[in-house]
Amino acid sequence: MSPGRALLQVRDLAKVFPVAGGRKLFAVDGVTLEIAAGETLALVGESGSGKSTVARCILRLVEPTGGEITIGGEPMLGLPASRLTAMYRRIQMVFQDPNASLNPRMSIRQLLEEPLRLHLYLLRSERARRVQELIEMVGLTTGHLDRYPHELSGGQRQRIGIARAIAVSPEVVILDEPTSSLDVSVRGQVLDLLLDLQQRLNLAYLFITHDLQVVQHVADRVAVMYLGGIVEQGATEAIFAAPRHPYTQALLSAAPVARWGVKRTRTRLAGEISSPIDPPDACRLVGRCPLARPSCSQGKPALVGTGDGRSIACPVVIDTLPQPVAERIPSC
Amino acid sequence: MSDILLEVENFSGAFRGETGDLAPVLHGVSYALETGLMTAVVGESGSGKSLTALSILGIQPPAFERTGGRILFRGQDLCGLDERAMRRVRGAEISMVFQDARAALNPVFTVGRQLADVWQLQHGGSRKAAMGQAIEALRRVSIPEPERRARQYPHEYSGGMAQRAMIAMAALVCEPSLLILDEPTTGLDVTIQSDIMELIVELSRTRGLTTCLITHDLGVVVETCQNVVVMNAGRVVESGSAEAIFTRPRDAYTQRLLASSVLVEAA
Amino acid sequence: MRDGEAVETVAPPLARGKPAARRRHRPRSYWTLRIGVAVLVFYALVAVLSVFWTPYDPLTPGIGDGYDAPSLAFPLGTDRLGADMLSRLMAGARYDLGIAAVAVAIALTVGTTIGVLSGYFGGTLDTVVMRGVEIFQAFPGLLFAMLVVQAVGAGLVNVILVLSFVGIPDYLRLARAEIQAKKSWQYAEAARLAGNLPWRVAFRHLLPNSIGPLLAFTSINAAFAALVTASLGFLGLGLGPNVPEWGNMIARGQDGIMTGQWWVSFFPGLAILGLTGALYLLGDALADLTDPRRRRQ
Repeated sequence: MSPGRALLQVRDLAKVFPVAGGRKLFAVDGVTLEIAAGETLALVGESGSGKSTVARCILRLVEPTGGEITIGGEPMLGLPASRLTAMYRRIQMVFQDPNASLNPRMSIRQLLEEPLRLHLYLLRSERARRVQELIEMVGLTTGHLDRYPHELSGGQRQRIGIARAIAVSPEVVILDEPTSSLDVSVRGQVLDLLLDLQQRLNLAYLFITHDLQVVQHVADRVAVMYLGGIVEQGATEAIFAAPRHPYTQALLSAAPVARWGVKRTRTRLAGEISSPIDPPDACRLVGRCPLARPSCSQGKPALVGTGDGRSIACPVVIDTLPQPVAERIPSC
Repeated sequence: MSDILLEVENFSGAFRGETGDLAPVLHGVSYALETGLMTAVVGESGSGKSLTALSILGIQPPAFERTGGRILFRGQDLCGLDERAMRRVRGAEISMVFQDARAALNPVFTVGRQLADVWQLQHGGSRKAAMGQAIEALRRVSIPEPERRARQYPHEYSGGMAQRAMIAMAALVCEPSLLILDEPTTGLDVTIQSDIMELIVELSRTRGLTTCLITHDLGVVVETCQNVVVMNAGRVVESGSAEAIFTRPRDAYTQRLLASSVLVEAA
Repeated sequence: MRDGEAVETVAPPLARGKPAARRRHRPRSYWTLRIGVAVLVFYALVAVLSVFWTPYDPLTPGIGDGYDAPSLAFPLGTDRLGADMLSRLMAGARYDLGIAAVAVAIALTVGTTIGVLSGYFGGTLDTVVMRGVEIFQAFPGLLFAMLVVQAVGAGLVNVILVLSFVGIPDYLRLARAEIQAKKSWQYAEAARLAGNLPWRVAFRHLLPNSIGPLLAFTSINAAFAALVTASLGFLGLGLGPNVPEWGNMIARGQDGIMTGQWWVSFFPGLAILGLTGALYLLGDALADLTDPRRRRQ
């Protein structure tokens, strides 16, 4: 994938939180990724991986402590509040919890009109038309417009959240676990809606999730996060068919499948996740990893391209691969 | 066909609103838990699976009232027991593990103390002996450094570890015949989920527990449970062996549930 | 009964529909709300009415002989100087209600605004504001009010201003706490993405969702304001000597209690009791009604 086509570019994103006792919590520790128009990159990880923090940093809902973020070449960092607000025309977010992400005191119509008013300065008649369009795009009806969030089901609320996000016709949409709070029967419908909208509007999606089924269903590429860093990245099919990083293997093998007679063999990691506070300058997986060598404790491994559209942050695995290491900057 | 340890027989119930009206939520729920086996009660939110389980132990919400049916434990109707009798049943005969372990544990006491207290309540004995048992229980559920961990407070535990402590309390410190687990792995990371489920299966097997697993996650069920009960909107729509339910579902809702549980067919 | 015995137990009676002899159960807040509001409305009407009509002129002494007991001519009696109690009581409503209402309104507006800004933006602003509030609140409210009124002198405006000042910190803290709690909620983030500048997120989205506790608190705070007003009047501070404010009237009737002219202090006292009681009932009802744990219908 040529970098020139990338719509959202994130380089070396970092977020460090100060904690009691003068210590530092490295929530995001050097994340680099790119997404092109019409493409979906899934960001997977378990709790403590930093994936949600990455999303909030990109939108500057949380201020990153380092790195660069550009959308279509325009930087996100360093902008004053008003210019930043204008950037929210180009990048939007669908939140995880449909209960908490809709203001309970606003009607659906008001919720959808607000971005149209504030971002696009549409007149009332234009807004009404656009709201009508939006509500139909997400599979709901005009009757829903005058209701309040608590009168809708979880799936319906999430559709409103999606409608609100695409109201201003953004180019990039970040989706933070959009189906995690929904029942399984509704999950499929919402995902199909998202895929449909992506195709119609040529949206770039950064899809954050812990659900590997969802990743396989919607994502073109996937980046696996562990303790603030990306450990493996590549095309979804390739990664799922042959995960290389020990953490990716452990993660993928742990996911249960609701089908009778499917046998799984688990790759296990010893112990529990280590602390993100004042981590040592070593691979984050040291102490749990079956492949650990002494050199793993002497410096954090960088994410390195392996020449086949994938990258991995594990020198031990790289040494076992037949292809030569192509470049240091992550490809794909 | 083994014995039936617990039978929910035509159980119906409703919530009483502020104005005094009854809003029915459970309609003739019937299922049986066979001794020594793991039975899953699956359903989406609002299906009534948790409410039924709480009613078994007599800890249903105060606004909930039974309108019909019985819950028979070894042939005895639990609904007819007064609070004192119920207290003898809880823990000693039937025990429960809840979803959010850190919230279920008392934040102001150390984990070891809580386990020891329950031990003393159930088995008597000295404080010292109870604490020893508590530490053993923590060790048994694979919590590393159990002596140190016993002196820690719940907020110092990770989610998965707290759940292990809860399982230790419910399955080891108490010595029940029936263990009910209400969404024990929801909210935990998938690697931890697998570990917890393995622990539950292992404990059930070695202690001959009858286990009732309440969950909405069919993936967790398929590898662990022998029987499955499917609930929807306060009713049991289908029940049977896990193999039958997963390979030959008869009810339309069950089929839909299975279909939507897997987005991508395994290779 | 012993475990292990297969005893047929008798289950408790099953709930069936609406039990016949039971009335519709109304929550307690239903009555407290209505009683509180009714009493307050009554007081307000009396206050308004007194502008246009009272049985006699409240400020004129000597209408009666002085210390007349309640009778048909003077339903609540007269005070020591012969002024009609009923008229004075009615006029007093204007003062006690009015001062409390205006003071609360000012405290609410100023306190909430600063609290919202402090809570949302945090940082240096918040630190400065909170230290200021803490220093301010180191003085007990009533004592502070007394001192300031003594210092700046008597007068209606001064009393209102002092009362407002004393009330600001509580609103400030409450609004700040509410905003801080809601600041990281997803709908606050969504509001930002929808194009709201930060201050707009705080006022347009977060504040309206915090109305509940603020309203409940306002009612209680108004009761406190009314009490402080009456206390200041009782101590002779702030307003003039002949002003028919209820606290003032109680003070003037003190001697009469000993000698049997109970009505001079009693009725103003009753009026204050009624006002604060109604405000507390209202506050209680509002607190119940706005409790987020109540299921929304």
